[in-house]
Amino acid sequence: MQNKISLDKLKKGEEATIVAFHSDELPAKFYELGFTPGATIQIKHKAPARGPICVTIVKDRTLVAIRTAEASLILTSRI
Amino acid sequence: MNHKTIALLGNPNVGKTSLFNRITKLNQKVGNYPGITVEKRAGTVKANGKQYKIVDLPGTYTLFPNSLDEDVVFDILSNPTQKDHPDLVVVVSEPTTLNRGIILYQQVRELGLPAIFVINMMDEIETKGLIINHAALEKYLQTKVLTTNARTGKGIDNLLSHLDSSPGHYYGALTLPERYQDALAEAKALFPLETEYKTWHLLAQEHPSGTSEQHLAQLAAIRTRHGLHTQQLQKDEAILRHDKVDSDLEAIIQKSTNKKLALTDRIDNLLMHPVLGYVIFFGLLFLIFQAIYYWSGPLMDGVDQLFAALGDQAAAVMPEGPLSGLIVNGIIAGIGGIVIFLPQIAILFLFIAIMEETGYMSRVVFLMDRWLKPFGLNGKSVIPLMSGVACAIPAIMSTRNIENAKERLLTILVTPFMTCSARLPIYIVIIGLVIPDDKVLGFSLQGITLFVMYILGVVGALGAALLLNGFIKSVRKSYLIFELPTYKMPDWKNVLNTVWEKSSGFLIGAGKVILAISIILWVLGNFGPNDRFSDPEKYIVQENPHFTPEQVDNEITAYRTEYSYLGYLGRGIEPVIKPLGYDWKVGIGLIASFAAREVFVGTVAVVYSLGEDLDIEDDSQKQTLFTRMKSEINRNTGKPTYNFASGISLLLFYAFAMQCMATIAVVRKETGSWKWPLFQLFFMTGVAYIAALIAYQVLK
Repeated sequence: MQNKISLDKLKKGEEATIVAFHSDELPAKFYELGFTPGATIQIKHKAPARGPICVTIVKDRTLVAIRTAEASLILTSRI
Repeated sequence: MNHKTIALLGNPNVGKTSLFNRITKLNQKVGNYPGITVEKRAGTVKANGKQYKIVDLPGTYTLFPNSLDEDVVFDILSNPTQKDHPDLVVVVSEPTTLNRGIILYQQVRELGLPAIFVINMMDEIETKGLIINHAALEKYLQTKVLTTNARTGKGIDNLLSHLDSSPGHYYGALTLPERYQDALAEAKALFPLETEYKTWHLLAQEHPSGTSEQHLAQLAAIRTRHGLHTQQLQKDEAILRHDKVDSDLEAIIQKSTNKKLALTDRIDNLLMHPVLGYVIFFGLLFLIFQAIYYWSGPLMDGVDQLFAALGDQAAAVMPEGPLSGLIVNGIIAGIGGIVIFLPQIAILFLFIAIMEETGYMSRVVFLMDRWLKPFGLNGKSVIPLMSGVACAIPAIMSTRNIENAKERLLTILVTPFMTCSARLPIYIVIIGLVIPDDKVLGFSLQGITLFVMYILGVVGALGAALLLNGFIKSVRKSYLIFELPTYKMPDWKNVLNTVWEKSSGFLIGAGKVILAISIILWVLGNFGPNDRFSDPEKYIVQENPHFTPEQVDNEITAYRTEYSYLGYLGRGIEPVIKPLGYDWKVGIGLIASFAAREVFVGTVAVVYSLGEDLDIEDDSQKQTLFTRMKSEINRNTGKPTYNFASGISLLLFYAFAMQCMATIAVVRKETGSWKWPLFQLFFMTGVAYIAALIAYQVLK
């Protein structure tokens, strides 16, 4: 499916559903803050020069920021 | 009788601190947990005819610790022998993130602790578009659910009347996955007396606190045998709980449009803008530093006058002699030297507290992380580095919410490079002496130099981080994840409380050290080993037979200083500092500065026998010191002591050297050993020495 894309490649404003994780290395804190499989997210802000990415966890209505490095481990499917 | 202990637990940004302040009516104490510098906030309250002890635990999303703060939470809750182990846990939550509050609540209950559930910020429930079925939630949580608004105090009395409640037996909500059952059964055999969930925690944490080395090894062996990793166990629990709570809550909460989020969205489009965001942040920083200098001026003058008056008063009351000297020049001047920094520190913390309270600080972390990461630091390092401009002590204490141990350590190690307010008086004096009072393109050359010194502090900190980054090994991979709360008006009670705590903490912490140093310095400066000190007239007359009695009198103080213990120390280090362009008199100032930099000006004033209560803000007194210092001749070189080369060398030395005992003490406490503060002492002072050496040798 060409719609599958890692989170860091999504553009500002795009919505996507988290499908899977590329690696087990992601700390448990990511899951605790709402990055769980099936969760819908929306990209809110991207800091310049591949800086952190700020996303909304749609169901929690919270804003969470992560680094590009970890975002690239999260596989999503565009909505 | 023992008071009942109540612990407040909750996610960050749910208004837990406001609630704590309301419950205790500010009747609280801030201390440290034994052995570590995680702030411990505890207070008392009288209700229901009894007294309760309230402990405000650090904010966390889970009982699985990711940082020092969170270690404390697990330790207190899981260990019944802990002094602060609660009789009742109050889990604080807010309407939007109820699901996360519930996850924490479930963990607490499954650990075997009684708990009640509080939904704070109830006033926002409408704008956030939520409807909660209260009765269904109580049934689901199997406990009392209370609602509060900590800002107005609504619901607090009701909460107090429930502090005695003892919720009934709790039926666990989490069924651990089948594939972990064997490993868990083996772990349970090790801890027959613990609850199943506590045992699960012991198995799923790398270093659960309160566990013996032997048990740790056995637990690690179980994990290896079953091919398990702690992060994986924690992750599976998190996902299981999230899914379960989310689906259970669908029947309990109705959601519609969140108006609050829309407003935050609009503000963020400006403050987190890839260009404007930075412009606004640096503009704000500039304003803050302007305010610090502009507002603190009159306050600092006031403090100065107060202590000068106090000193005069004491000198007038007491008979002249060594005791009077100790009290006036040692103790009162010493304390005055710390209190004078209080206005700057209070103003800085006022701004930092407002930035934290409104939610802007996490936007700063977002903006800055990219630019600090290459140096081995973290977006969260911004706060300590910024605070370091006022004082490294509270700055280093604010590193404790950085999860990654290496990034935290690096931040602690480089923060003292930032130009703290104690360096300012030294810079002012030396710049005044060696930089011409000219204008370049309409800017004062002296002002530009001072600005360059601040830049040098930042360059020093980042450069050192870059260098040390290559040497310090990281146990865990660096990562960053943090929540950006919706914008709020600051709770002014919280803001003032923070300012008060940090300022008084600084005053008492640093005060003790500086007081002790002032006394030691005074003793060293006022006693000598031989009769050159006790009977200086004899030697002065011998060496200068042509002196009039008046000239002899003038010479006595300086001669005494030279032959005091302090003078011998200064001459003792002279060979080492000679290549930097300093003589023994500057050496005395340097030695004294290793206690605290701000001592330098006072000490050289003594060495040049001008009296210690010298006010460099007062122009005529400043001129006296300047004239005296300008006319000083370095007897090694025959040139003025404070010429351009030695002045620049001295500025560089002060910019980089680790000359603050209080900072060393705080670093020792924060890192838990002498290894890092000693490393820092030698590293920073080494850099300072080399920089000063090169500058002097090139410029002389």
